[in-house]
Amino acid sequence: MSDLIAWSDDYFWGAMVVLKIFAVSLVMAVAFGLIGATAKLSKSSIANKIASAYTIVFRGVPELLVILIFYYGSAITLTSIGRVFYPQTQFIDIAPFWAGAFAIALIVGSYATETFRGAFLGVDPGIVEAARALGLSNLHTFFYVRVPQMWRLALPSFGNHMLSLMKDTALISIIGLEEIVYVAEMATAVTLKPFTMYMIVALIYLSITTVITLVMMALEKHSNRHLEGAL
Amino acid sequence: MNESDQKPIIILEDVCKFFGDFQALRNINLQVKKGERVVVCGPSGSGKSTMIRCINRLEEHDSGKIFVDGRELTSAVKDIDAVRREVGMVFQSFNLFPHLTAINNLMLALKLVRKTKKSEAREIAMRFLERVHIPEQADKYPSQLSGGQQQRVAIARALCMNPEVMLFDEPTSALDPEMISEVLDVMTDLANEGMTMIVITHEMGFARNVADNIVFMDCGQIVEMKPTDEFFENPESERTKLFLEQIL
Repeated sequence: MSDLIAWSDDYFWGAMVVLKIFAVSLVMAVAFGLIGATAKLSKSSIANKIASAYTIVFRGVPELLVILIFYYGSAITLTSIGRVFYPQTQFIDIAPFWAGAFAIALIVGSYATETFRGAFLGVDPGIVEAARALGLSNLHTFFYVRVPQMWRLALPSFGNHMLSLMKDTALISIIGLEEIVYVAEMATAVTLKPFTMYMIVALIYLSITTVITLVMMALEKHSNRHLEGAL
Repeated sequence: MNESDQKPIIILEDVCKFFGDFQALRNINLQVKKGERVVVCGPSGSGKSTMIRCINRLEEHDSGKIFVDGRELTSAVKDIDAVRREVGMVFQSFNLFPHLTAINNLMLALKLVRKTKKSEAREIAMRFLERVHIPEQADKYPSQLSGGQQQRVAIARALCMNPEVMLFDEPTSALDPEMISEVLDVMTDLANEGMTMIVITHEMGFARNVADNIVFMDCGQIVEMKPTDEFFENPESERTKLFLEQIL
């Protein structure tokens, strides 16, 4: 017990890092998903192909490898560019936080692309026509009519993506981000109590994912409010 | 009537439209003056819908020219948006935004397209809901309204943009019989106020009451276009006579 108290501060700050990375990559993943789905549904065959390549690659390569390749790949590239200008450069990398957040956002975004694409196809084309007939621009139609309609259909699967996103944050410790798995490794090395230290991590994750699940349930209810008392 | 009232607000010149190999519109020529009420009728698949959807460019015509209030419809986005602001449209299946309440359905385009302030948009929207006799339903969602109420909200939504012309694409065809009259009443009021209207409908009673001219279409062509009384009393083509016999 005293071991846990000794490490509680580190766990707390580790958990904060997890929440921060979740928030940042969630925003990016939604953006990637919307862009990807729009590209897949566009008439441009170049856009279709780029979006297909994106989903094939990021749904087909293990998450851990994406994070490693993204981090080391960007570091090697940046370092060699740096050496062109300052030959004495030793090592430049993207902060593990941003490299990790970006990598998992790309992965979850590739799943969201497929979810959003399907949901966009479920939007009644008549409603989109009505928006166009009222003189709404393409951009307004997208954000005020198509996305709110699509959102209701996408929510159930998107809840799963949010849980994956949350759990994927555990992988970022491999590139040295000081989140809770990283803290548990350190604590295990010192206290020699791996079971306790990793169990704490599991409980932290479980409590966060429970909150996410409850939030998703509330969101689904909210997004279906216009169907309550339907005639 | 002064001279500007005589000028056609909508002009279609030799308009053709293809869907793949199928020719939906064949050399359509039509002029509608300001304040004129035109009813378009004809069997299904005759191109009525396609024709009025070309007027606000929900469909793009393949050849010929279309002018709305002096603006030619081309692929220039700015012109299309300008035309759509002048032309209101009411659909067979209402097409209300399901995620917005009735009043928010009206306010959306006021805010986004007309850039009206929220409080002012609410006032305008309320006024138009009163005009179609359903102010008490303002805060309900479309799924909580009857078909007739939904269509009246849809009419109010188009009207509150203050359009020069209103297009109606079979506005009562999806309605239960007892709800048809409440929608037609609103449309008749509108006609009496002098709105320029093009209405596709099979409601011949309404056509007789309201229309200045009747257009009969078949196989993508305008077969006959005549003042209302003449159309019913004295149809020229055999095709029109047959259609009237079936429908009356």
